[in-house]
Amino acid sequence: MSTVVEPTLTDVQMVVEEVWNSFLGGEDPLVVGAPGEVPTGWSAAVTVTGAWEGMVSVELPAGTAEEVCRRMLGVEETHDEDVADAVGELVNMIGGNVKSLMPGPSVLSLPVVAAGRVARSSDTTEVCRIDAWWAGAPLQVCVHVHRGH
Amino acid sequence: MKILVADDSRVMRQIVIRTLRQAGYAGHDIVEAENGRQALDLVHSESPDLVLSDWNMPEMNGIDLLAALRSAGSTVPFGFVTSEGSPDMRARASAGGALFLIAKPFTPEAFDEALAPVLKG
Repeated sequence: MSTVVEPTLTDVQMVVEEVWNSFLGGEDPLVVGAPGEVPTGWSAAVTVTGAWEGMVSVELPAGTAEEVCRRMLGVEETHDEDVADAVGELVNMIGGNVKSLMPGPSVLSLPVVAAGRVARSSDTTEVCRIDAWWAGAPLQVCVHVHRGH
Repeated sequence: MKILVADDSRVMRQIVIRTLRQAGYAGHDIVEAENGRQALDLVHSESPDLVLSDWNMPEMNGIDLLAALRSAGSTVPFGFVTSEGSPDMRARASAGGALFLIAKPFTPEAFDEALAPVLKG
């Protein structure tokens, strides 16, 4: 029987907090551990394939994704193309750092971004979930692994 | 001096350029590329003094860009700015001829530490 190798909740939380504090912190710190239903807005995912196989995803309400874009780009007005870019870069940074914590060698995919919920393969299991609040709204970061991997 | 910033994310290119300013490198000319292929062309046409490149990009990734530059005889100083900072990736970057690897998320201090030997040296 194979063992599912998974990142610890503490490690993923540290990664998420570091990304947020570096590029989105300031007046609105990320508050981890406050579960809330995330209204469907934007989501993004990256997959890792190789010695460790998994998927890291982020889900944000639409207004929060736009705020992420405003803060990262330093602009007031946002366009969908830039919001998708910003949300994709968020999950790219979180996923890349999670990949670095796991056994290698492995390959990180380019981010897939969706207006709505990202689709997950039915043979994956959620092994880690960070519920958090930022800028007055809930968001979620999840790690899924393939069953039996 | 001229710095080429290669990243498929426009948002990240802007953050890199902003961080360069915050790190004290405000006066340099910046050239932007959306992928490794475009960066390769721009190194030849723009002759930058430094390339800051993402690793994971469409068309041509950063490590293939570095290999293409070195096999073409280019000795342009090259550093990665990437979300993947594992020892394995750092070793691959170094073996390919990169001077440094800055892991995302980064700080202006990390930029200065990596760039000072190249741009102030």
